[in-house]
Amino acid sequence: MSTTVADRRPASLRLALGAFLVFWLILAAFPFLWTLWGSFKVEGDFFSRADWMNAVSGTLTEAETGAPFTGDGYYGAWVQEEFWRAGLNTVIVTVSVVVISLTFGTLGGYALSRSPYRYAFWLLIIALVFRAMPPITLVSGYLLPFFEWNLWGHLPTTIIVLVAINQPFTLWMLTSFFRNIPKDLDESAMVDGCSRFQAFRHVIIPVMWPGVITTGLFSFLLAYNDFAVTSMLLSRENLTMVPKIESFLGTTQTRGNVMFAVASVVSVTAPLFILVMFFQRQIVSGLTAGAVKG
Amino acid sequence: MADIQLQNLSKRWGTFVGVQTMNLHIADGEFLVLLGPSGCGKTTTMRMIAGLEDTTEGDILIGGARVNDLEPKDRDIAMVFQSYGLYPTMTVYENIRFPLKVRGIPQAEHHERVMRASATVELDDFLQRKPAALSGGQRQRVALARAIVRKPKVFLMDEPLSNLDAKLRVSTRAQIKNLHHELKTTTIYVTHDQIEAMTLADRVVVMNKGAVQQVGTPLDIYDRPANTFVAGFIGSPAMNLIEGRMTGGVFEADRVRIPGFGGIADGPVTLGFRAEDARIADTGEIAAPVYSMELLGDASMATVQAGGALVAIKAAKDFMAQIGQPIAAHVPADICHLFDAATGQRIERP
Repeated sequence: MSTTVADRRPASLRLALGAFLVFWLILAAFPFLWTLWGSFKVEGDFFSRADWMNAVSGTLTEAETGAPFTGDGYYGAWVQEEFWRAGLNTVIVTVSVVVISLTFGTLGGYALSRSPYRYAFWLLIIALVFRAMPPITLVSGYLLPFFEWNLWGHLPTTIIVLVAINQPFTLWMLTSFFRNIPKDLDESAMVDGCSRFQAFRHVIIPVMWPGVITTGLFSFLLAYNDFAVTSMLLSRENLTMVPKIESFLGTTQTRGNVMFAVASVVSVTAPLFILVMFFQRQIVSGLTAGAVKG
Repeated sequence: MADIQLQNLSKRWGTFVGVQTMNLHIADGEFLVLLGPSGCGKTTTMRMIAGLEDTTEGDILIGGARVNDLEPKDRDIAMVFQSYGLYPTMTVYENIRFPLKVRGIPQAEHHERVMRASATVELDDFLQRKPAALSGGQRQRVALARAIVRKPKVFLMDEPLSNLDAKLRVSTRAQIKNLHHELKTTTIYVTHDQIEAMTLADRVVVMNKGAVQQVGTPLDIYDRPANTFVAGFIGSPAMNLIEGRMTGGVFEADRVRIPGFGGIADGPVTLGFRAEDARIADTGEIAAPVYSMELLGDASMATVQAGGALVAIKAAKDFMAQIGQPIAAHVPADICHLFDAATGQRIERP
């Protein structure tokens, strides 16, 4: 058995480090765990004015439903309020945004990374400026023409706007990934018998996968988590999940709706966990390595 | 198999000249080495032949057909890159097979041709590995195998040995020489290493600052350098160059006096001679104190300061002299080369 550096530390320090880690973990995870727990209670318990411990003991939940936990919040949100429709919309929007962004991003990023001209650099700088702007500044400019041309409220409009907001980032990120791939690889492929596009498809893209997946995930998160654009540009009947949650909160006069929001928040978060777990290897290699060295 | 002609080939980026009006005929089956210091235009020339760089002026003909406007893939060439350019996601087998696959050569032939190419460069044990799991020398051989698998008209090699260690470089150099003997494919080889040029080439093209300095066999270039650049670039050590004055057939510079140049006009000239042609003597044309002594193994090298330059003279390996000790060297006129002091061009002796 070899002793590592960590083993040689005094016991008190190790204890303090462990305690800090546990504290930090609770701090980070508690809000979500609390929401998860509360989503199975009734509003009277989770938002109790009398005693916050009711959320833990579930006094009212037991009185109202006959069991310490209830799925009423989920039933109300998914079935009664048709949250699944919002879920479906989210799937359509995110998949479209990711596919379109990555298509333009890989092609454009490759072109920019191999361009000998100086304007490629300035294009990227401009892209960065647009990426830095808050999305809402763009939305206010879109609203009037969208109303006038009768484009407002539809999913495709939202998809296009989200792609526009996301594209600078994907271009920027993919360009830097492509730059890490030696030019010799393209040239090798072209001498070996590929056209420029074949070299891109057969040689460059296979090397790029970690980069494409990482960029795709970030694009997905942008579209999935977006509130500013979706809430402004989609009609009430056509909302994606995040603005739909907000619409539950907006009508607190009706009892129980706030619990719908809590249940939907949990529903929205779960897929993200699964996704990150599933792709964690590619994400890590994409974030650290950049690409394979030649 | 094909010959290559470069006609008035030039490459410029804005005002920067990469290659200046180059004319060259490379015979079918010839092994031609482009030699020069970095930035001399040798790689640019090769990349223009490959089609990876556009030409600014002039024509490139392969097998008599103008290829200027052809894509690299349509020029029927194979290239070995300095960094090898292996495809990291494919196995060695797939790397070698790739040119066959993208060129639509019938599937049935692939296996046999890949195996033959890999056997030629002794890669059979590594076919299922990824390039990342190979040593530098093995990667280099994969690049070679990928080039020969398709029997192209022309091989282009861009400093293929510069990433290998010294020992491997010698053995791979021999392998390339042997491969060329076997395949007899026209080969253009770019290097800045004159030993590689000397050992591999049928003919050497010495380049500097985008311009061809001299074209000739290795022996030609060594024995009759066309100008002071070639003289100073070829040979190890390079030719000694001393600036001095010719008066009545006698060359004179500080601590140097060499008679015997009848028929050469008076005036400033540059004189050159190789260290191994001169020898240490009791009295001689050069008499100067020792600047440094180096033991090379089979011989030793005495350096003296004469004529405003450091002059190397090869001596027997048991020759010993202290730094500062005066010595003399016998440098007869017939081992000397003369160059114009202003232009650096070789002056032919009558």
